[in-house]
Amino acid sequence: MSEAKATLEATALVDVRDLVVRFPVGRGRFIRPVDHVSFSLQPGEVLALVGESGSGKSTIGKALVRMIEPSAGEIWVAGRDVAHIRGRELKAYRKDAQMVFQDPFGSLNPTRTIEQHLAFPVRKYRRDGQGRVSDLIDELLAKVGLTPVSETRRKYPHELSGGQRQRVAIARALAVNPKFIVADEPISMLDVSIRAGILKLMNELREEMSIAFLYITHDLASARYIGNRIMVLYGGKVMETAPSAELIRHPVHPYTRLLFAATPGTRHQGPLPETSNRPPNLLEGRVGCPFADRCPLVADVCRSQEPPLVEVAPGHYAACHHPG
Amino acid sequence: MAETRDPVLQIEDLSVAYVTNTGLVHAVSDVNLTVHRGEIVGLVGESGSGKSTMAYTIMRLLRGDAVVTKGRVRVLGQDVYALSEKELRAFRWSKMSMVFQSAMSALNPVMTVETQIVDTILAHRPDLSRQAARERAKELLDLVRIDQKHLQSYPHELSGGMRQRVVIAIAIALNPALVIMDEPTTALDVVVQRSILDEIRRIQEQVGFAILFVSHDFSLVAELASRVAIMYAGRIVELTPSHLLKLSERHHPYTEGLLKAIPQLTADEVTIQGIGGYPPDLQDLPPGCAFHPRCPYAMDVCKRVRPSQVLAGEKVLECHLFNEAEVNAHV
Repeated sequence: MSEAKATLEATALVDVRDLVVRFPVGRGRFIRPVDHVSFSLQPGEVLALVGESGSGKSTIGKALVRMIEPSAGEIWVAGRDVAHIRGRELKAYRKDAQMVFQDPFGSLNPTRTIEQHLAFPVRKYRRDGQGRVSDLIDELLAKVGLTPVSETRRKYPHELSGGQRQRVAIARALAVNPKFIVADEPISMLDVSIRAGILKLMNELREEMSIAFLYITHDLASARYIGNRIMVLYGGKVMETAPSAELIRHPVHPYTRLLFAATPGTRHQGPLPETSNRPPNLLEGRVGCPFADRCPLVADVCRSQEPPLVEVAPGHYAACHHPG
Repeated sequence: MAETRDPVLQIEDLSVAYVTNTGLVHAVSDVNLTVHRGEIVGLVGESGSGKSTMAYTIMRLLRGDAVVTKGRVRVLGQDVYALSEKELRAFRWSKMSMVFQSAMSALNPVMTVETQIVDTILAHRPDLSRQAARERAKELLDLVRIDQKHLQSYPHELSGGMRQRVVIAIAIALNPALVIMDEPTTALDVVVQRSILDEIRRIQEQVGFAILFVSHDFSLVAELASRVAIMYAGRIVELTPSHLLKLSERHHPYTEGLLKAIPQLTADEVTIQGIGGYPPDLQDLPPGCAFHPRCPYAMDVCKRVRPSQVLAGEKVLECHLFNEAEVNAHV
């Protein structure tokens, strides 16, 4: 490891090294939805994880906030490895790491007012007096644009639109003053006219509060908008990662190019650059490149050797035997 | 098959309301729309815009608490609401059919693909023999490019994309002239979505049915359809050829807002701008133009008077910014 890189990682807020998540699927076999994934996150940085279902993107998010315990690898957050912490330590970690889910209808309790949703984390993690709790709730609601706050506080989730509910979910995540937020498809269930507002809100929080985001999405276009970096995943492995502008201008991995061609609005003509639409094999002991079955550039080596992630341009990495 | 001016679907002055304990709530108001033979028309809107209610109204599949308060739906010239229950059963699926959003819930999990296709065919065409229906099932799988061995598969054994292909096969089983597709690719991954859309386009060109494609995804509809109707609060606020759906053209402010709200993957410009406010409550619609509280160009008249339909070049719009005189001056 070069000295410059070592310094960079030492100052990173989050440093994930060789993360592996495996699940048993019976008969002594395991799948690996996440297979040796590494990345880091600086304060105020947004890393966009892009991939389809089965790519491992949501599992990475869950491991990072420790909703699940990784099978191997390290998760360094603010100087300590949280990969296997438990009990009181894990509870304390919730103050650093928060999550916003895809479904703003399922993530709020229909029998509680918005105020109650926010009062709980504020009391539990901030331990201030009663008056202070109330002020904090107002502050949080104002921060996420749910004004007038006195009106919003009294409402129940069903009285709010999807976009408003997602703002409540973000306010709730902010309530503990986290260092970073994992946002798992936070806009995919929202109306088009509302999505931009949520993305912009995330942008403000990043800029004003230096909150870092792991933004999980299947949509390259929104990843480009919000992400400083994009990491493209397939079959639990990183296929390609680069600063957003670089990745959008010069995608080199055949899978990234397939995602490009499939994105609506790019006016791609002709058949998709894939040879089948078979889902990736996640079984442990898989040989070769996970994308080989679908890749139009597949060669013998792709089926026998897993391509390593190598730097193809400054800060731009790809795992492919034949990067274009 | 080439598109002709021969109308397959004619919606005339249609209003649909849900009966609630506080009175009628209109989900669709004063809608006019024609889809021609072999044409793909997109119907775009957000939740609560009335797009799905429109789809269900055309199929006469409205829930018990929804009523057509005004207007007509004609498919191949036949008023869908003038049919008896028995006639409707024969008419549905052989003249018009529907692809639903969730392929998993549209298919019966304990029936094989073949049984589902055959049963659908026989339910609407009892005059056909089971053998003929089986033959047709094979043809249909070929058409949607699924291996015939999957005739004996159960839905859970198929991928999401394959399931949606089966649902499409079922929809076109009896060669309908009109297929309504309600968000058929929303639950799918982007690559699978794209391949299903390509498939829809290919089959549509081969067989020649017309499609009313209902979706919230603006860019997707613009690519697939030749014309796009944009719905807001139950009204079609703009009906435009899809090649005119770009920011350099003049649009209804809502359409313009949607165009600005979508991050583009390949454009140089990466800024986006949402539409302020939230979609309206249908039980409590703003007076005048329902979009006025969110509209950056709202004038006094917009708060009082509902705009009427204006023909502007190749477009139909409902907006006070496009009054007749001004439009004519532009043409």
